[in-house]
Amino acid sequence: MEARYLIANVLIGIGLVCILFGILCFFRFSNFYARVLVASIVDTMGFLTTLIGVALRADSIFPLLKILLLGAAILFINPITTHKIARSAYLSGYRVRQEDDTCDR
Amino acid sequence: MLQGALIALGFFMMLMLLLIWRGPTIWDRLLGMNMISSKLILCILLFAILTDLPYLIDIAIVYALIGFIGTVFIALFIRQRGRI
Repeated sequence: MEARYLIANVLIGIGLVCILFGILCFFRFSNFYARVLVASIVDTMGFLTTLIGVALRADSIFPLLKILLLGAAILFINPITTHKIARSAYLSGYRVRQEDDTCDR
Repeated sequence: MLQGALIALGFFMMLMLLLIWRGPTIWDRLLGMNMISSKLILCILLFAILTDLPYLIDIAIVYALIGFIGTVFIALFIRQRGRI
């Protein structure tokens, strides 16, 4: 086995562990906005780490370029999507219960 | 190794389905749908590398863009209470 494949397998493993931590935090937190934060940060980080691991296993140049294009798209898409969901929840009037007193409006 | 990663991603998607089923508000369910979409993109990528079919990566790119548009417009639909 080449060293490239070994590094790729290690990176894919690290990315999957990050995604698993994100899902565990989903079950751990009871606050919706904390879950949005976890989804925005941990999921994007795990996705990009796994994507780099997959890109290291690509054999020719065109699949590599397509994988990098997908990575650049995901780098914008994932935070924007979670931002839109959190903004939709906030503008619809959803508040966390213990912060009702300190939150204006 | 890649087969194990695919099986792990399938397990993660089942956990996210549990979260969608359990989620108290509609935004939790929307967030779970978004995360299932990202894991499905990873599944398509791993399958493309595993079976050496590079054109599946194009499908992953298109799926990412369509999932983005769908989630953004569902969030807008909920925020405006049915009026787009």
